[in-house]
Amino acid sequence: MPETVLETHALRRAFGELTAVDDLHLVVERRQFYGFLGPNGAGKSTTIKMLTGLLRPTSGEIRILGRDLEKDSVEVKRRIGVVPEGLALFERLTGAQLLTFSGRMYGLDRATAAQRTTELLEFMDLADSSDKLVADYSHGMKKKTALAAAVIHGPEILFLDEPFEGVDAIAATTLKRLLQRFISRGGTVFLTSHVLEVVERLCTHIGIIQNGKLVAGGSLDELRTGVKVAGHDHSPLTLEEIFLQVVGGARQPEEVLSWL
Amino acid sequence: MLLLLRVRWQLFLNSLRKRNRRIELLVQSAGMLFAAIFVLGIGAGFFAGALASIRMSQIWLLGILLWVVFLMWQLAPILFEGYSPGINFREIARYPVSFRLYVVLNCAYGLSDPAAIACLFWMLCLWLAVLFERPAWSLPAAGILLAFAAFNVFCNRLLIGLLERFQSTRKGRERMAVILLVLMVTPQLINMTVINWDRMSGAVAPAKSILYGVAALNRLSPPGAALAAISGDGGERLTATLCLLGYMGVAALLLRRQARAVYLGEIYSDSFRVRHELKVEPGWRVPGLDEITSAIIEKEFRYLRQNARLLVQLVYPLVIFALLFSSRGATRRAFPFAGQGSTAMLGMMAGFLMLSVANMAYNVFGLDREGFGRWLLAPVKLQNIMLAKNLTHAILFITMYTVVAGVMLVFNHVPLLQFAGITVSFITVLVIQLGIGNLFSAWWPKKVDLSQMSSRTVSNAAGYASLLVIAPVGILAGLITLASRYLGWTWLPLVAGLVLLAGAIKLYFYSLNRAANYIHDHIEEIEQTLAK
Repeated sequence: MPETVLETHALRRAFGELTAVDDLHLVVERRQFYGFLGPNGAGKSTTIKMLTGLLRPTSGEIRILGRDLEKDSVEVKRRIGVVPEGLALFERLTGAQLLTFSGRMYGLDRATAAQRTTELLEFMDLADSSDKLVADYSHGMKKKTALAAAVIHGPEILFLDEPFEGVDAIAATTLKRLLQRFISRGGTVFLTSHVLEVVERLCTHIGIIQNGKLVAGGSLDELRTGVKVAGHDHSPLTLEEIFLQVVGGARQPEEVLSWL
Repeated sequence: MLLLLRVRWQLFLNSLRKRNRRIELLVQSAGMLFAAIFVLGIGAGFFAGALASIRMSQIWLLGILLWVVFLMWQLAPILFEGYSPGINFREIARYPVSFRLYVVLNCAYGLSDPAAIACLFWMLCLWLAVLFERPAWSLPAAGILLAFAAFNVFCNRLLIGLLERFQSTRKGRERMAVILLVLMVTPQLINMTVINWDRMSGAVAPAKSILYGVAALNRLSPPGAALAAISGDGGERLTATLCLLGYMGVAALLLRRQARAVYLGEIYSDSFRVRHELKVEPGWRVPGLDEITSAIIEKEFRYLRQNARLLVQLVYPLVIFALLFSSRGATRRAFPFAGQGSTAMLGMMAGFLMLSVANMAYNVFGLDREGFGRWLLAPVKLQNIMLAKNLTHAILFITMYTVVAGVMLVFNHVPLLQFAGITVSFITVLVIQLGIGNLFSAWWPKKVDLSQMSSRTVSNAAGYASLLVIAPVGILAGLITLASRYLGWTWLPLVAGLVLLAGAIKLYFYSLNRAANYIHDHIEEIEQTLAK
């Protein structure tokens, strides 16, 4: 029987009068590659922040790896890895120092942290820049460093907020290789992304959020079965078609800027 | 130009949307009021000084006033470059403006600098004095002063351009901030050395002859040429005017050349050495502390080591101590308590060191910036993280105190009981400052940008709050010392210090928990403040 590793019940977060996430029920099972999609401002980042302890929910419950995040946050954090929206890197450390530091913060001893740092820097093609300050890295290098920092302690679940945004094709390939390897070893990935092609290729399960509510969820095949697009032939729907149908975001040609 | 001013105004208005910024504005407004009073006062001084120098036929004094204008115009905008809000002039070249308009805007922007406005006002005061006292000079003087102003604008924009070029790389910006800080503290150190001049009187005679030699060359300088063009005889006046116009022309040509390069898209960037051999150090292990605390302390020290500005601020009390320790008489008397015996001097140095604590302890997350979120992602309680940060700061200040106290103990023979009393008091105040500092770090976090001279290490509010915290503690320490002397109880400072230390430790842990809870309740707000 599949093991549930992430579960939310009636999760809600309000900022004053704005409800960013409303009555969210999510279930993610081990070894799933879960893509969490939605238009800008839909509540994706707010959700991932709540799931990783970066933001307190207004109400509702989050259970990760069978533990209540609110009550057992330190233990949960020990078993997850996160690439947050702003990457949260200590940019005045070198890449090597940052990774060693991250490993030790998760309880690795110095020798293990140094060993894994070496391997990760090699894997991520960052070895030549290992003694450069992270502040002087390019955006793609920072993304790879953030991902390396998220996996150095061997987490069971990875939370990634827009991991492919602003990353070139070479870096994206490296990231994808790492994530696929992680899944094949029994890990679970929960990611948000705007790059639907990547999500379609990588993710086994998808949730779509709009205006803070989960409006569609399931495997890609389940979504294809559930969504009907008017006038569409019998070829399988792409994720983009499903997404646009669900969130209703496609503009008619006449709506496009007339002067451009 | 109007569009630029409007953008600047909008940036200013937008910055006021946050409560912290509004309070900062109030504090800055008070500073601006003082600056305005200062400029008006100096202007009155210029008028009176110029009037008197012409009346008493001491025309060379006008030269000094012109030198003041020249130095102020050239140096103040550089010193305060980081303090001006928002527009990197280089960016204007991206917009569809002609090169000619770009140069005009560049100069107009320079004229809108507060230092330039102050200098123009002072030159007006000087000219009014000429008008009153020597009306015949006033018309040519107006032309010469305008040429002098134009030269100053060109020269200043040229220097600012060079500064922008230097600051277009991260390393350049950080080095510049340190250079400026050293420039700012140097006059005080020179002053202390000069007070101690009586011990070095043999050096006065050669210094005087050098000064006379330099003064003879003054005629060739821009302020000297301006003075000669206003007050010289027929032939001298013409030569001086040509000299001043020559300076103006050269500055204009150089500025044009520099502006052209920027306009055509000249960019600069950091370059790096590529390392081919990967060698990862395992990190520090601080004796007696666990792996996580050691890692945090290592990270904090690595950050401190790169913060050259803070290092200069930390070294400064030690330099003062070295000067005080190596001097006698006037230099020591210039510092409160330093001239009243070795115990008083140790107490004074302990207090002086304590003043620097706020720079670090009242904004413990300031340098972490975007990295702040990583503390929250880590499987470590926030209290432990802040405790480790405080330990780093405590290690640093206790080491500095140990250096000072060690020297005083060995060479100035401070009585042991009094030494113990001062040491316990130092640690007590340190613990209080660290504890209260944690609260202010949570309530008033401030992003610290090492490359910006204007970026303070703590918010203005927290800086003043630290003084409010230290003042009552200082008064209490003073009362205890007085009581000890009056009653003849030499043990009183030590015992009172130990009792207060126990209270301080309790207060520390209370404030640590309060700060951590506050941060958990305001994570997003703090994260945004530190990241933007």
